[in-house]
Amino acid sequence: MTSIALSSSRTRPLISWRARKLLIGYSYLVPAALCMLATVVVPIILAIKMSLYADVLYKPQEYRFIGLGNYVRLVQDPVFWQSLWNSVVWVFGSVILQFIFGFAAALLLQQAFRGRALVRTLTLLPWIIPGVVVGLIWEWLYQPNYGVINDLLIKVGLVHERVAWLSSPDTAMAAVVFTNIWRGIPFFAIMLLAGLQAVPDELYDAAHVDGANVFQRFWHVTLPLLRPIIVVATATRIIWTFNYADLIFVMTGGGPANATQITSTYTLVQAYSVLDFGYAGALSVVLLLVMLAFTAAYLHITRGVEETD
Amino acid sequence: MARRASTDLAERILGGPVVWTGLALLTAFALGPFLWMLLTSLKDRQELYATPLQYLPVHPTFENYVESWTSPVTPFSRFFFNSLWVCSVTMIATTVVSVLAGYAIARFRFAGRDALLLIFLSTQMFPSVLLIAPLLTQWRALGLIDTYQALIYSNFSFTVPFTVWMMVGYFSSIPRDLEESAMIDGCNHFGALCRIVLPLATPGIAATAIFAFVVSWSELLFAISFTTETNMRTLSAGLLYMVGQYEVQWGQLSAGVILSTVPVAVLFAFLQRHLIHGLTAGAVKG
Repeated sequence: MTSIALSSSRTRPLISWRARKLLIGYSYLVPAALCMLATVVVPIILAIKMSLYADVLYKPQEYRFIGLGNYVRLVQDPVFWQSLWNSVVWVFGSVILQFIFGFAAALLLQQAFRGRALVRTLTLLPWIIPGVVVGLIWEWLYQPNYGVINDLLIKVGLVHERVAWLSSPDTAMAAVVFTNIWRGIPFFAIMLLAGLQAVPDELYDAAHVDGANVFQRFWHVTLPLLRPIIVVATATRIIWTFNYADLIFVMTGGGPANATQITSTYTLVQAYSVLDFGYAGALSVVLLLVMLAFTAAYLHITRGVEETD
Repeated sequence: MARRASTDLAERILGGPVVWTGLALLTAFALGPFLWMLLTSLKDRQELYATPLQYLPVHPTFENYVESWTSPVTPFSRFFFNSLWVCSVTMIATTVVSVLAGYAIARFRFAGRDALLLIFLSTQMFPSVLLIAPLLTQWRALGLIDTYQALIYSNFSFTVPFTVWMMVGYFSSIPRDLEESAMIDGCNHFGALCRIVLPLATPGIAATAIFAFVVSWSELLFAISFTTETNMRTLSAGLLYMVGQYEVQWGQLSAGVILSTVPVAVLFAFLQRHLIHGLTAGAVKG
């Protein structure tokens, strides 16, 4: 309070202290706002505009306004519909299994044992390395002739001949989803581990005294307390996985025969390989709408979670 | 009594063999693929393509590392320094921008503050594929294709929202009284920020900065879209480019994979505690 009184007497002649303070606040925001404007807001507006034009990079003479032409094409494009379905398989296949294994990993890493810090760091590795590195490592593991996966499976007797995991339409999706599971387990492990460590020991002790066994304690103490973090982690993961194009792009490029083409890789292929910016723009708008729906649902759910706490 | 005993038995089994087996499997699953890549990178061509598969390199060699580092076709050393430069500049610029914005959001009550926070949160969830076509058009118009600037500016699209969000958290946790007494003593806002708040928030800021570095290190799609010259490729883009060459050189490629992994793995090991705290705090508040 004193500071306000003192300063206002100094600055009264020009503008009020309150206005000045607001101006300072806004000026701190200017760089961040410019960054967002130049790299997110303007590009999104540009993408929406692009989606209304026939805009293929190497056919500048055909550039013209076509209204909803790209969207009409989109609705009639079987690959687009297939990509949406593939996205569902990709997202839910990945996230559900990442969650289950991530939860198991968190419970294991919560135990006290020697070298725990080291094991924790090491098991997080798959999550922090670049996506292209993950893709390449697994491409090599899946390699039909020299890959170790085929070799081990044949030795154990699970398969009898070499499987071309990434180039056969029957196995490609499962193969990329499995890779993504490998990559995402640490994310859930970290989040849930943080949640587990926040559960007070007294609650377990009390449940123990009441005669609850280890499973009952998990079900009645651990799970309810972890609910908020589970909801948040799963929701963000669903959105990220839906958007995530790197891994599939590196491993299969969406092939074979679009078997692993999800909507985000399809958008990428249209913008990067086909250079059809108009169509990529229309796909981007669809991605944007799906993302907004997800985010709205996410905000709705997390608000609900906070209220119940 | 019997009930109690059976509980204990279940716990003993869960606490003993089950935990140990689980941990062994978990570690093997997480590290196995890396280990295989490391073994691959130490094999010469003959061992690499031997039938039946040869698991361990009999004559370990660093030839693959030397070749990929010095190769004139896929100059990995160049890719490495491109990445180092792009990520360092991104990190520094992002940190400055987000310290200012984070401080403003944490300390000033202004109209549209909540809306702004929401925008930062939702941009974190934007797919970067959505930005490729428009950014490519934008950078072409500005003549920035094949420049570091294009990559650095594009990186802001995903680093800034995240780091601002983290900074707001750090600054909010620092009590206002300290700054207020500094301002009574004659500091202005900027002085209070530099002398009081920043020193207190340094660990958090450092962690956030390095996180910005690590995520830029992984960036692939902008790097392949906004560069056409081999010499301008970053590590991620360069690795992908190595695959695109006539025949995949798995020896060199595995060496490249290991070299790209080491820096982020080391940084992450240092930061782990901070990042986990920041991520969970940010996420829970969101």
